[in-house]
Amino acid sequence: MPEFLQFVVTGITVGMVYSLIALGFVLVWKSCGVANLALGQLTLISAWFTYAMLDPSEANLPIWLGLPLVVLFAIAMGWTIERIVLRPLIAQPILSLITVTLGISFFLEGVVTIVWPKSLARLPRLFPQQPISIGTASISYESLWTVVIALALFGLLSLYFKYHRMGIAMRATADDQLAVQACGVPVTRIFSGSWMLACVLAAFGGVLVASIGGITPGLTQTGFKAFSVVILGGLDSFLGAIVAGPIIGLAENVGGGYLAPLTWPGVRELIPFVIIIIVMFVKPYGLFGEHRIERI
Amino acid sequence: MDLPAGTRNFSYAEDMAIFRTKTQWVLLFVFLAVLFTAPLYLANYWLSVANLIGITIIAITGLNLLTGYCGQLSIGHAGFIAVGAYTSAILNSRFGVPFPLALISSGLVAGVVGMIFGIPSLRVKGFYLAISTIAAQLIIIWVINHWTEMTGGFDGMNVPYMSLGNLTFRSEGSQFYVIMVIAIVTLFLAKNIARTRVGRAFIAVRDNDLAAEVMGINLFRYKLLAFFFGCFFAGIAGSLLAHWMRFINSESFTFSSSVLFIGMIIIGGLGTTLGPILGAIFIRLLDVGVTRLSPALDKALPGLPSGFTAGISPLVFGLVIILFLIFEPRGLAHRWTLFKSAYRLWPFSY
Repeated sequence: MPEFLQFVVTGITVGMVYSLIALGFVLVWKSCGVANLALGQLTLISAWFTYAMLDPSEANLPIWLGLPLVVLFAIAMGWTIERIVLRPLIAQPILSLITVTLGISFFLEGVVTIVWPKSLARLPRLFPQQPISIGTASISYESLWTVVIALALFGLLSLYFKYHRMGIAMRATADDQLAVQACGVPVTRIFSGSWMLACVLAAFGGVLVASIGGITPGLTQTGFKAFSVVILGGLDSFLGAIVAGPIIGLAENVGGGYLAPLTWPGVRELIPFVIIIIVMFVKPYGLFGEHRIERI
Repeated sequence: MDLPAGTRNFSYAEDMAIFRTKTQWVLLFVFLAVLFTAPLYLANYWLSVANLIGITIIAITGLNLLTGYCGQLSIGHAGFIAVGAYTSAILNSRFGVPFPLALISSGLVAGVVGMIFGIPSLRVKGFYLAISTIAAQLIIIWVINHWTEMTGGFDGMNVPYMSLGNLTFRSEGSQFYVIMVIAIVTLFLAKNIARTRVGRAFIAVRDNDLAAEVMGINLFRYKLLAFFFGCFFAGIAGSLLAHWMRFINSESFTFSSSVLFIGMIIIGGLGTTLGPILGAIFIRLLDVGVTRLSPALDKALPGLPSGFTAGISPLVFGLVIILFLIFEPRGLAHRWTLFKSAYRLWPFSY
């Protein structure tokens, strides 16, 4: 099985990108209770902004200046979305909150189409070109860095939520907004903080996934796959996101790699969505999600 | 409430009547007369717009039953419409089933598929359900693209005209009659589903499903029933769409159109009979306006970026959905009610 190792390596690295994007989702869900369905579009627009900053035909900035600008852009985007769109909808039913993020995703897609009408592009090289080989498989520097960055961000976020004042306040807000407000925690600041962080995570995801596979409209599909990670891992668990990402990536690549010759070509795109449906039937709150008991 | 001063109801039937006063009956007949003579004086282009609006009304009336009344968010409605469209197209063109039978069976097949994907709604709701309906949509489209022998795959398939016995509906105007009659029947059915026991059970489930269960509503039955009704109408709309466009492929049933359907019922007004009508008309006319205006704008202002015509419509739709949710979450139907009561009381508004 010479290709097995390659499938595993690709699966894990791709899965880590999904994890990274899913972390942004979990963050917003945990602290604001908003389901952000615009993940794919946030990733897409950050990737295009990176392209605009770094590409020789556009702004052509050096990497040390361009990437911080991308982060600043993501922060500004997160702040704007929260302040203008979601602040007026606080305490609205979940239906409105889900639909408004779908509206945001339409809007962002329109912006991307207008500003960057060519639908394909390559980011300039951020990492060395030579791939590293492990046995029969080879792994590119991009993929390696993806894994490292995803794990590092996961570690940072966990520590932040555990020890930092703001992180603790975010967890408390997720638990009971009214009580937290009564304790003098500025809830609105927490909301905008978590949106800014989530957009930064999506931007990281966008830069990494675009440096591996280029910028394509398919990046929005990556957003959908991040949903299957979120569902499998459990909506409110960072650990779930980081564990479920590689599982989905492996299922997609190993399963798709071996099933495609036996069944239909293109079966790998189906796998994450079949996993969503199976999880819904078997264990709807995911691997690590908290099962909330409702009372009337 | 909405009745003119001095109108009193003396029986339950009077209280429940959809058209209560003589004025309403007169307005109804005027409206129907205008509607059914429309093919005589409307140009073909506007007839096709009206046909698309009619089909959309049928589809989102179903979505309104499911999401607006029963509170089960479905972001995969285009997928269920696709099931109906392909069922009807395959039955009609490959097996020679007559159109009326294919129409009904496409509704039933879509309803059953919807029920299968609705089973998770029993244990999960809100975001989880939204994601599983997105998954349903993507799975359905994937199957359509890869089941080439039946559906024609990515190349799509041709569909015959609608027909009834020896009568074939070839012109835009004759199809207008078929679509409008079915749309009116759909609205009538939906209105009556919504105000009988089933509809009131849906509303109870929407408002609090645990409380509804405690009051003796069988959640399993009513949630699946909502999925069945919602997707049944989607299937009917899909069948009409297929025979009206006469060519279908998966491009007509994208995830974006699912989102747009949700947007339409929110803009129209969730959980009202009028909502789907207003929402469909508003969004479809906006679409017509944008596609007609943007090339002209592009020509008039040469400084615009080259992606302007392609990108302006998602931008506008996204903006409209966001603005409605922020400023008028109860939709155009609510505006209409406000207008009616203001007009009824004018000039003494107190």
